[in-house]
Amino acid sequence: MLEAMLSSPFFGLGLTCAAWCVGVFLEKKTGFLLCNPMLIATIVVVAVLAVFQIPYADYLQGSSMLTLMLSPVTAVLALNVYNQRRLLGEYFLPVIVGCLVGTLTSVGSVLLLCKVMSVDSAMTSALLPKSVTTAIAIAISENLGGIPGVTAAAVVIAGVVGAIFAPAFAKLFHVTDPVAEGVAIGACSHALGTAKALEIGTLQGAMSSVSLCICGILTSILVVFF
Amino acid sequence: MNIMAELAIIFGICLVSEGISALLPIALPASVISMLVLLALLLAGIVKPRHIDRVCRFLVANMAFFFVAPCAGIIEHVESLLACLLPFLCAAILTTPLVYAATAWSIQLMLRARRRKESHHA
Repeated sequence: MLEAMLSSPFFGLGLTCAAWCVGVFLEKKTGFLLCNPMLIATIVVVAVLAVFQIPYADYLQGSSMLTLMLSPVTAVLALNVYNQRRLLGEYFLPVIVGCLVGTLTSVGSVLLLCKVMSVDSAMTSALLPKSVTTAIAIAISENLGGIPGVTAAAVVIAGVVGAIFAPAFAKLFHVTDPVAEGVAIGACSHALGTAKALEIGTLQGAMSSVSLCICGILTSILVVFF
Repeated sequence: MNIMAELAIIFGICLVSEGISALLPIALPASVISMLVLLALLLAGIVKPRHIDRVCRFLVANMAFFFVAPCAGIIEHVESLLACLLPFLCAAILTTPLVYAATAWSIQLMLRARRRKESHHA
């Protein structure tokens, strides 16, 4: 009976939803930034699979349905850009150039690092899109033959680092312009950073959400050439 | 608008994007194409924000939930991750301030140049 239950898609679906609720609960309870629901939920799922020695393939039956939703989730980011079209029009050139510089820096620095440390190509492909939002990063990583799980982990770490240190970065690098600050947060730490940018200011938040979309598109085009 | 109609629009766009992705000579992810297609439809006024409002709000508000399943896939690759933990952490942590600085400075430089030009004209 247990076998029939584990191989049902409801196992993966139920476990993911329950793990998510644990993450949300912990975030609310502690208010600690590292208690990111996505991070906690992933740890809970991995722990359950490891402790009860449940094959990953069983979990995949249900979780693959959720992974399918990554495409719609990315598509609706378009509404963010659309809602900010006036602001984007005003700062079009600086924003595009800034995103391009940020994307080049991100992809270039990871490539250089991987070359210096002689990392294999599957790992390099998994790390290349680490600065863009998870939905796009995973698609890029899969396209390049990278490991999606590693990509997702790198994306979360980059996001958390950006979200925690964004105000410190602004001081350290003498960034005073709100447009520059917002775009930079979106470029280095995608959606997680955008949540922080919205706390810093409306303009920063708007520019950050625009920048995470543009950087996602630029990265997916740029990595094709590597 | 009916929630099923909203879903039909979003799923339809994703489906068309899968087709476009298969046709393109470069490996642009279908999800990125679906974002561009939806943006084009919004700008052209063919799809109005109210046509997809509820589904969009739900998906954006719960975005991170949909990443849990692919993240958990890391369990299959623990060994390869541990084998290059140092480059992994360097890439994820150290390059983040680098990207921040490069992006912010290039924009500040351009905005300053633009303002100087404007004050010159005025």
